[in-house]
Amino acid sequence: MTIDDRQLQELIVESQDLQVDALRQGRDALPLMAEIREDRRKEPVNLDEINRFNANRRELFRSVKKAGAAFGTRGLLAGGFGGFLATLVASPARADEALDIQILQTASSLEKLAVGTYEAALGLPFVRNGSGTAFDTIRAFATETMSQHDQHKKAFQDQTDSLGGERQDEPNPKFQQVVNDAVPGLTDPLKVVQLAATLEKVATDTYLMNLSMLEDTPSKSLMGSVMGVEAQHLATLRAVEALLMGNALDLITVPPAGPPVDLAKLPAAAGSVAFPDALEQIGPVAEPESGAK
Amino acid sequence: MSHTPETETELNPLAQLATARVSRRRFLAGTGAVAGIALVTAACGDDDDEAADTGTDGGSSANGDLAIAQLAAGLEVLAVDAYTAALDAATSGALGPVPPAVATFVTTAKGHHEEHRDAWNAVITGAGEEAVTEPNATLKPTVDAGLAGAKTVADAANLALTLENIASQTYLSAIPKLESKDAITQAGQIQVVDQQHIAILLYALGKYPVPEVFQKTDQAATA
Repeated sequence: MTIDDRQLQELIVESQDLQVDALRQGRDALPLMAEIREDRRKEPVNLDEINRFNANRRELFRSVKKAGAAFGTRGLLAGGFGGFLATLVASPARADEALDIQILQTASSLEKLAVGTYEAALGLPFVRNGSGTAFDTIRAFATETMSQHDQHKKAFQDQTDSLGGERQDEPNPKFQQVVNDAVPGLTDPLKVVQLAATLEKVATDTYLMNLSMLEDTPSKSLMGSVMGVEAQHLATLRAVEALLMGNALDLITVPPAGPPVDLAKLPAAAGSVAFPDALEQIGPVAEPESGAK
Repeated sequence: MSHTPETETELNPLAQLATARVSRRRFLAGTGAVAGIALVTAACGDDDDEAADTGTDGGSSANGDLAIAQLAAGLEVLAVDAYTAALDAATSGALGPVPPAVATFVTTAKGHHEEHRDAWNAVITGAGEEAVTEPNATLKPTVDAGLAGAKTVADAANLALTLENIASQTYLSAIPKLESKDAITQAGQIQVVDQQHIAILLYALGKYPVPEVFQKTDQAATA
């Protein structure tokens, strides 16, 4: 096979022109993109739009793969513009990343709210001054749970950082209002436990909903990991709630705050009250934009 | 060299993204034929491998989802069998006195795992495959040995704890690998309930119900 030097030179020049044009257009577009990013920072994420994009992205990937197979051109255009396009199509959309950041910020805001709520509960006179194993156990559980939520918050904040987002360190406004409304009625341990259970359910269900919306894999793993722990907080609080309602204070005991529970004395309902559904049913949630910055 | 404005826009993703905001439909449609061959060569290892079709992390696909569903169904069958055996042992008196809360727990958890098994089998049969009816073969010998050695309620509860941990951690481990949003949600829904089973088992065994700050995956089963 012979090579036409003149035609090759023309192709090289044409390629250089294309590159210069592309760089210029890219530079021209950057200020506009920055402006759009600022405009969109506090906008709700359009999930339909993102889903449409992702469906299109996957469809393109499928179709071009078939085309490539048909033409048998493997390896011919690897790298360069082809590599750039491969990266673009195979990587998450910028909108995906924006949504991921909003989700992480909102998760941080829920954790911040949980920490504040447990802290406030521990300061209530009847919680702080209550005597007996049940109160020792409730205080120990609230203290440990508060610490766990604080670590969840920091993990979500760190993950927000890693995606280039701004750390959220304010409580979720939507559910802060729920807490504010409940505070005047917190006159006994049962109502405190019920409020805590409400927040744990919101966190569990919000994270469950988020799992199918997140694009970033580490964020998804973190969300699932924290969700599993919030689910256990919720189960424990449901059991404590049932025991308080049954006036079975002697059964509210967990080491190290108290001795192990006397299993034989537990009512039959204790074996089912913590998990009312075979599959978690999603209730009220904090939407991605509700705690975003 | 000159380009028409339309060609420039279609070839320049930055300009298109900026002018059309996040709607990249036109860009993808417009450049698909041009980019396709390059894309295939850059991103696909095997033209016949549907696993590369997802365009996300390269490790998830319809086939991957099916394999995970089959793994999950096998674990759920194992759990149902184990709870059934525990219930039989409790009824026969082989575990000694059985507190009412334990009887309720075993019955409830068994029912949950039946629903989980059925949920995964619905996914599997929906994909045209046979429902899974056999327990996970890797773990079955260990569970059988545990059941044979269980002489008390606490022994059975500890075995249940192990099974619930394996199941829950398997779901947590699988979630980032699943492609279907419905499958992700279903795995999450079940993971939540399994974690709640664990919390109550720990409480019943006299242990702290939420022992970890972050759920782990070191006991997760693999396909």
